[in-house]
Amino acid sequence: MGKEQQQTYWRSLNELAQNEEYRKFVEREFPENATELTDGVSRRNFLQIMGASIALAGLAACRKPVQKILPYTRQPEHIVPGIPLYYASAVPFRGNLSGVVVETHEGRPTKIEGNDLHPGSNGKSNIRQQAAILDLYDQDRSRKVLRNGSDSTWEDFTAFCREHFADTGRRVAFLSEAHSSPTLERLRQSALNRFPNARWVTCEPFSEESVLNGTAMAFGRRLRPSYHFDKASVTLSLDDDFLQDSDNDVAHIGAFAQSRALASPDEEPSRLYAAESTYSLTGSNADHRLRIKSSEIPLFTFALAAHLSGEVSGLEAYAGYRNTFSDHSWISVLAEELMRNRGSSIITAGPEHDAPVHATVAAINHALGNTGQTVEYLDVPYTATADQNEAFAGLVREMGEGQIDTLVMIGTNPVYTAPADLDFQTALEQVPESLHLSLHYDETSRQSSWHVNRAHFLETWGDGHSFTGVRSVIQPLIQPLFNGKSETEFLNAVLSGEDAAGHQLVRETWQELLDGPFERGWNEVLHDGLQRGSRYNAVSVSLAGSFSAEAAGFLEAAEEPGGDSVELVVRPDPRMHDGRFANNGWLQELPDPMTKVTWDNVALMSPNTAERFGIPPTRRFGDPNQMVVRLRTASGDEAEIAAWVLPGHADNSITLHAGYGRQKVGRVADQVGVNVFPLRRSVSRLYCTAADVSATGRSYVIACTQDHHSLEGRPHVQDADLDHYRENPTFAQDAVYVPGIYGDREHPVSLFDDKQWPDHQPQWGMAIDLNACIGCGVCTIACQAENNIPVIGKREVRRGREMHWIRTDRYFRGDERGNPQVMHQPVPCMHCENAPCEQVCPVAATTHSDDGLNQMTYNRCIGTRYCANNCPYKVRRFNFFNYSKEYLTTGDDPEIIQMAMNPDVTVRFRGVMEKCTYCVQRISRAKIDTKNETGDTVKPSDGTVKTACQQACPANAITFGDLTDEKSIVSIQKSKDRNYLMLEELNVRPRTSYLAKIRNPNRQLSEPS
Amino acid sequence: MAQIFPEWVDNIPKRLQLATIIVITGIIFGFWYFGSPEYLEVGYAPNQPIPYSHKFHVSELGMDCQYCHGSAWKSAIAAIPPTETCMTCHEYVAVDSEPLQPLRDSWETGLPVEWIRVHDIPDHAHFNHSIHVNVGIGCVTCHGRVDRMEVVMKSESMSMGWCLDCHNNPAPHLRPVEEVTNMAWEPPDDHYQFAQMVIEKRNINAPIYCNACHR
Repeated sequence: MGKEQQQTYWRSLNELAQNEEYRKFVEREFPENATELTDGVSRRNFLQIMGASIALAGLAACRKPVQKILPYTRQPEHIVPGIPLYYASAVPFRGNLSGVVVETHEGRPTKIEGNDLHPGSNGKSNIRQQAAILDLYDQDRSRKVLRNGSDSTWEDFTAFCREHFADTGRRVAFLSEAHSSPTLERLRQSALNRFPNARWVTCEPFSEESVLNGTAMAFGRRLRPSYHFDKASVTLSLDDDFLQDSDNDVAHIGAFAQSRALASPDEEPSRLYAAESTYSLTGSNADHRLRIKSSEIPLFTFALAAHLSGEVSGLEAYAGYRNTFSDHSWISVLAEELMRNRGSSIITAGPEHDAPVHATVAAINHALGNTGQTVEYLDVPYTATADQNEAFAGLVREMGEGQIDTLVMIGTNPVYTAPADLDFQTALEQVPESLHLSLHYDETSRQSSWHVNRAHFLETWGDGHSFTGVRSVIQPLIQPLFNGKSETEFLNAVLSGEDAAGHQLVRETWQELLDGPFERGWNEVLHDGLQRGSRYNAVSVSLAGSFSAEAAGFLEAAEEPGGDSVELVVRPDPRMHDGRFANNGWLQELPDPMTKVTWDNVALMSPNTAERFGIPPTRRFGDPNQMVVRLRTASGDEAEIAAWVLPGHADNSITLHAGYGRQKVGRVADQVGVNVFPLRRSVSRLYCTAADVSATGRSYVIACTQDHHSLEGRPHVQDADLDHYRENPTFAQDAVYVPGIYGDREHPVSLFDDKQWPDHQPQWGMAIDLNACIGCGVCTIACQAENNIPVIGKREVRRGREMHWIRTDRYFRGDERGNPQVMHQPVPCMHCENAPCEQVCPVAATTHSDDGLNQMTYNRCIGTRYCANNCPYKVRRFNFFNYSKEYLTTGDDPEIIQMAMNPDVTVRFRGVMEKCTYCVQRISRAKIDTKNETGDTVKPSDGTVKTACQQACPANAITFGDLTDEKSIVSIQKSKDRNYLMLEELNVRPRTSYLAKIRNPNRQLSEPS
Repeated sequence: MAQIFPEWVDNIPKRLQLATIIVITGIIFGFWYFGSPEYLEVGYAPNQPIPYSHKFHVSELGMDCQYCHGSAWKSAIAAIPPTETCMTCHEYVAVDSEPLQPLRDSWETGLPVEWIRVHDIPDHAHFNHSIHVNVGIGCVTCHGRVDRMEVVMKSESMSMGWCLDCHNNPAPHLRPVEEVTNMAWEPPDDHYQFAQMVIEKRNINAPIYCNACHR
């Protein structure tokens, strides 16, 4: 990049301000006091304990510990001890399945990967799927059936069901999570047949109900839009975080990355426009981003439709409509762009927006000819025919009036998630019998007369469909650890009073779903993880006759927002979703993709809005104390939550992430963050106007990793506009001056002798395509699951001790008061050939291997931390305390969590340095397998070794392989002109390289506002 | 003035020096010898819950190692066989034998026989059996003459230095793959040529970098 375009990247406003504390902070490797033993065990206490344990150890060591080997009595078929087996299964989330393959070691599931055959996964996965393994081994899961809070049994429960439901005239209400299970659907039908006065309501706090209502408005049918981002040249996201907050996010990310892939400067990547209030992950990947309040999105959408109505047919309902956005510069530019790309554009809107927005979006997509090209409308038989949010409100009203005798809750946690104005808790008290199936003894279980402990999906049989309707069986990998029951077993017990196995229930359903011989078809489904050819029907649509009238109605009702009123926007958290994952330590400790806050939720606002309420946008650098604001809605509901200034957030808008502030659920979830569901209302769920926002004067400590591992402003991320890239394809390599290059870029002069690599060894290398990376953070969780990385807790994270081997840095650039751009950069160990860490280790605990890995030998490490100090990339992590021991041996049942560990990776001890190994256990396995198979080589064929981060990455941003093979994918990636080395001028010769990000802005919108 | 200390006191520092040297040497030697894996590990032969005799089953009945420990050819682990493997014969043979009672108990209850581990390397070292036996390292090389053992005994130190001795110079320990389980195999006179041929043909470069075992 030319001098004139030299741009600065910053991670936080405090870094941008470059105050005194910042300089002090970056000079220290770890924040102040992080190197002192100040908590948990005090120093003096520690010495006493150490003294005692040395004495004990001295005596104890005289005896050789006796270890036992316990072989199988009857060895199960296919199990060879030491060789993992892989089974296809599926992960349910909000009623949709994603195909996965689960690795098991001697019957113990340890890792979840995507299923290559499954179109919703393509072998990839997201953070929730990766972290599901930890949920399985959650010690805090409910372990028993409870009757009014006291111990009971499953037998008592079935006996109760037999007696209670013998009276089929009861007014029973079933409250269920969204589902797409044929078995559950079969049971649902028989439940509704059996109880004539029964009703079935779906309760999902964040659902696609509005989307379905929107398509019903536009096309007369409740249809699910399915977008093909790979076929789109232009995408407009209206407050829709489709890369993250979607049931089909893995497929979306893959398709989106594919549409932006650039093999050479001649290719034409797609373009993404985003109009949104918060700075979402999708927005951070947009070429143009417009900051507008969520409450202005409907107006913006209608104005766009009105502008387009003059150019295409099908939008006549909007003709002549005008509002404040009609003259906005974006509207005409977008209209022109969309007109130019008819049939290859996509417009999406956030699922929580009201139905008119979705109806308008559907009408625009249809008018532009995108239907059947980039957008499909799927007929989903598992969605209800009526609006379930309304049905839920109606149910709560009836419960409150005493019109419901029995409430059967299958999953869901409405006491926690229901909108505050419905007052679900009071209504529940009016119901004589309430039955609740849940993984944890949660807020709703405590208020119910029966609680049944639920089985994790890896423990019982189930079935369902993916977002696009691919049918799968959920295959269990282990017997229920706590004797939990699946939703089908639970519902079956309610209906029949019998204890039927899930396996039998699912098989019964599938008798009708499979053609040909049943056993053969069933085994095929289990083997592949899906039923081939199954899919929801894409239907052809046309505008409903009533649409014009409806549109006239909602256009009439569209309100111009009050100038400086502040809106409160409640969104699902990227990690916790609605709180169902709150007891998962991996997810709690994963930094939020945009704010990098861990273990908390915060009130996101722009610098201007913060100032308006007396909150200074920049604070003393390194000060974890954030000011707490009190937010009050018009109905008087309040929440006090730490304010967080997010550059690029829309002014006069405050975003809150739900899913925190849970009570008495588990040791991880409790007391973390603030519950913001009370700020939500049952109508227009996404946003409401704040009646009052005020600083409380209190402060609250937030553990945020955005300034940890700072590279002090050096140009480590490279990006350019498409035009600039075409002019100078090697701009990223040319960005820095590398001393000592005399003609030959490959071999700059070095003080150190060149390393000699033996011919028989592969040479490993990695390339990370920043153009593909969207910053979701799945690499971090996949790595954590693969490499036995401990969870350390909020206090330790605040001290910069997070243990993640791969972190995703997020950089801002540009106007912090306006609309700064964002870059995401995953940073694992670079495996430098001239590794600075190796040169300073006094005990040679970190050295180089013959296949080019910078190896960390834990048993040699004495913990001087010189290596971390000398690492220019700040990728080394130190075990300040015995985190693994804390993590693996505390609690009432530590053996449960130990089952999640990967047996091929050493569990590290206190005082030991660790870092990314390029998944050396996978490399070793592949090399040994290759040698055993071929007899003469240890070079695995390309693609055999996949690092955990690479395997999980839905964007295919990470490639890994053998650099001695010129045809390997990683060699091809590294030969591209966008390839550059981070901090190349240091001449440490990293094996990990990056491919620069290319933006594709529209010249007509030169300055995004 | 009279001498306060008698004359022999002059020798104390000298003797003390000598004694210190001897004691320190003794301590060092003591640790070096008594603390070494060769002293501590070799010869460990705990009594097993069932007095299974390798000598009888291998030497007299002629059973091959692979009959029970076949996973060594596929996996990192050379597993102890399941009760089922024992019961293939002992359902018919020695059915009333008193020492075999734990085996029959295991078969009936489904609970494993609790064998005591003899060969144990630290958790931070990841040894893989399959890569060794498939290139022609004999069982006897590491486990000794198991065919002569009534009770299994650890016959090698299995220390890191011992591993590296072979990894630095594997040639003397290589044998034809079909002879891997042959406990009595002796290298022929032209073994050196054979080993060089195998090393070249099979590209044997026993790794000596840390990550090969420690990860």
